Amino acid sequence: MYKYRPTFTQRERVIDNQQIMDNMDKTLQREINLARNIQMQLLNGKTPEFEGGEVIGSSLPARLIGGDYYDFYPLVNGKIRIVVGDVMGKGIPAAMLMILTRDAFRRVAEITDSPAETLTSMNQALYEDLRTLKSFVTLICADYDPKTGIFTYASAGHHLPLYINGRDKTIKELPKVSGIMLGGLPDQVYKEMSIQLDEQDIIFFYTDGIVEAQNKDGEQYKLERLVQTLLENHEKSVGEIERSVMDSIHQFTQGVPQKDDITMVLLKVSRQKNGY
Amino acid sequence: MIQYSLHENGEYLDVKLAGDLDIDGTEVIEEELIPNMEKYQTVNINFEGVRFVDSTGMGLLMNMVQSLKEKGIKVTISNVQQDVMNVFEILQLPEILGEEIFI
Repeated sequence: MYKYRPTFTQRERVIDNQQIMDNMDKTLQREINLARNIQMQLLNGKTPEFEGGEVIGSSLPARLIGGDYYDFYPLVNGKIRIVVGDVMGKGIPAAMLMILTRDAFRRVAEITDSPAETLTSMNQALYEDLRTLKSFVTLICADYDPKTGIFTYASAGHHLPLYINGRDKTIKELPKVSGIMLGGLPDQVYKEMSIQLDEQDIIFFYTDGIVEAQNKDGEQYKLERLVQTLLENHEKSVGEIERSVMDSIHQFTQGVPQKDDITMVLLKVSRQKNGY
Repeated sequence: MIQYSLHENGEYLDVKLAGDLDIDGTEVIEEELIPNMEKYQTVNINFEGVRFVDSTGMGLLMNMVQSLKEKGIKVTISNVQQDVMNVFEILQLPEILGEEIFI
């Protein structure tokens, strides 16, 4: 019987292995937390303030780390460049690609003249890497000019933002502009569209984690509920609208764990016109 | 979780997918399904039983079609549900993979 009992050394080894596993878990947990901090700080960069309007962005990852991305870049000509995107997948792999995407955006934002040019350059920069990694990124890129109220946008496979008309209180998708996801096809030249925004108009950018949020019966939040929430709250400030949307999603999902990252960006034109 | 069944007819393979195509399908698609599909000349992927495809699923599908095409295998995708097709269209999958593969 004795020979089947673990020796002291074997038992010690079992304990050692357990300790190694515990240490690995702790190390991994610490690294995930540090990675999350890096990502949250990069994502929650400075929100630009400008005469004639306000913007806000927020992102809630489904896991500790997410793959959604939004960013603001104030251009030297006074325009605000906005980007909202969704990297394929979730968690740490998506977060790594999100950093890659952010870097490409920041590098090309100032040297490109328009949202379409920004997407063209970003696809040029990222295509090879994304193909190698069998991944892709969908993005909306837009410029808002507070001096003229002109809003110009281009899409790389991302669904279009919602346009809330402050005067007649209607909501519709922005007119269609097509473009292939970043990493989809090489040498793409993106197209853009422009619309004139008026006072109290809102542009609502979002990722599909909002409309695909599920409740316990497997029902999705869907665009209709989002539109309803925006119609009920559009007269509030961007911060209050953002909270109303988040509250409405939470009320709908009733604690069912979030499956995908949720991101939104709002642009609202102020009541005071600035010379246009 | 995605499930599949294979229906072969000589050099032709019909793959019926069922369930949600998302990250949980990664190993099934990459380690089982693609190697199986590579044994045939013509493959049809039947999407009738697929209700939901997230971005990882979209990547898996693109990778599946592109790897088969690179090996000279003719691929088609059939019976896509309307909700799923809407997502494919936003992502412009027909343009990326080729309009002719959607039947």
